[in-house]
Amino acid sequence: MAFGPSDLAFRPTTLRRGQRFDPSAADRPILVFEGVQKAYRADSPVLRGFSLVIQRGEFVFVTGPSGAGKSTLLRLLHAAEHVDDGRILFLGREIGRLTPDSVPFLRRNIGVVFQDFKLIENFSVLENVGLPLQVLGLSEHAVRNRVGEVLERVGLGGRGMERAAVLSGGEKQRVAIARAIVSEPALLLADEPTGNLDPQLAVDILGLFEDIHATGVTVLFATHDRSLLDIRPHRVVVLDEGRAFDVPQGLDNANLGAA
Amino acid sequence: MNALARAVRAMKSDLEVHLLSVFSVGVAFVCLVTALLVVVNVQHVQNRWQQLGKLSVYLQNNVAQDRVAELERALRATEGVSAVRFVSKQAARRELVNEHNDETLAALPDEAFPASLEIDMADTTPLDVRERVADQLRPLPGVEGVETYAHWSSKMTSVFSGGITAALALTLLVLGAVISVVSSTVRMVLQKRHAEVEVLKLVGATDGYVRGPFIIEGAVQGTFGALFALCVVGALFAFLRGTFETYLTTLLGVRISFLPWTMSAGLLLVGATLGAGAAYVSLRKHLVVS
Repeated sequence: MAFGPSDLAFRPTTLRRGQRFDPSAADRPILVFEGVQKAYRADSPVLRGFSLVIQRGEFVFVTGPSGAGKSTLLRLLHAAEHVDDGRILFLGREIGRLTPDSVPFLRRNIGVVFQDFKLIENFSVLENVGLPLQVLGLSEHAVRNRVGEVLERVGLGGRGMERAAVLSGGEKQRVAIARAIVSEPALLLADEPTGNLDPQLAVDILGLFEDIHATGVTVLFATHDRSLLDIRPHRVVVLDEGRAFDVPQGLDNANLGAA
Repeated sequence: MNALARAVRAMKSDLEVHLLSVFSVGVAFVCLVTALLVVVNVQHVQNRWQQLGKLSVYLQNNVAQDRVAELERALRATEGVSAVRFVSKQAARRELVNEHNDETLAALPDEAFPASLEIDMADTTPLDVRERVADQLRPLPGVEGVETYAHWSSKMTSVFSGGITAALALTLLVLGAVISVVSSTVRMVLQKRHAEVEVLKLVGATDGYVRGPFIIEGAVQGTFGALFALCVVGALFAFLRGTFETYLTTLLGVRISFLPWTMSAGLLLVGATLGAGAAYVSLRKHLVVS
């Protein structure tokens, strides 16, 4: 008995009532920004008609000067902020139209890593990393097993019982990364994840993100550290004056703001 | 880790704050428990007086013995009357002097004390039946007056009503105090655990998941506050009863008792509900993490 391509395609085992399985959804971009505008003050908008398409499985550096809107962009993706105009589609769904009750379910599909780690200092490494799984309602046993695997992956195998407060900066960032990927999200956002680390550690952490990317996770890596951009051949999106410029050939060849 | 486990963990780490909160809630509940204790015992006394079932028929001076015997016979045949006892002037004087040990009373002549027929009614006889018997007795020849002790019962009823009003006022006061204390505590621990809440929201926790432990903590504070009050008032009650039981029983005619277990359990439930409610309201107001 032979299998056709449609037999091999991923097909969810359960669908919600009234929903149809649409195989073409897998080919859609993971992220679409369409004319996104955002301003905290009316006279100085952060994003002005920002448009961008990111395909599944891409590794994208988002860079730009301080205040260019890198963090705002990630906060919009995470539904921690709302767009003033335009729309952002994540897996075909418009984030701005999600109800407050749906936001947690969006966040379960997006891993986030911050410059300041955002760990719970009095929790152990295991507890910090296991939080997304506990939120999903997994058993303690399953959480322990999965966290153990992820800690091995980020180079912290056997350190689960240590308190987060006693870890070094690089170790804390590894814990934050482990927490971000433990529930196998479709998208990984990193907001200046190497900002608090020395250059060698920053490269190590970038390597970790690349390892995760190699497993098929889409990575959006916001940084203003040009040295990281120069050493890795990934797509670079520059945020400047509230708009996005793609510079696939590297920043040195870009002619930003010259037009 | 479920909400209960997370709440236990949080309470352990903020033990001092929670103990202070339990103490404050407990102090508020002490007032309520004390008021309820008074009300419950006043009610016992009232019931006792209502069920006392005694009538005193005071006889006129120089009433004929055959008239008294006739009255006794008629009363024994009356429904609800369980016993009738004739008390002569001399016996009435002797009883009163012995009971009060008062020299002034002892100096009074026998004539100062009226002879009477002391009637015991069955315990189940309603108050209105006793009143009806008294009304039938009053116009009879040889009867000076009839004492039903109903005025004691009505006095008790008014004391009881006052007690209920005071308890209701205290309930409102306790309600306000518990809401205020638990809300402040939740706000304080919320500030202290802001990072934890932020991370939980970050990883996709729903509002219910985040609120769960805080609401449990509020319920625990309310329950333990009520329990603390019950223990404190219970200990004081046990001491007072141990010291003054004979005196109080003689004075009130009933053995004073602590709150029934159903009421104590109800207080714990009220504490838990108030604590959880206050925590919920406080969280709705102060839990603002995007």
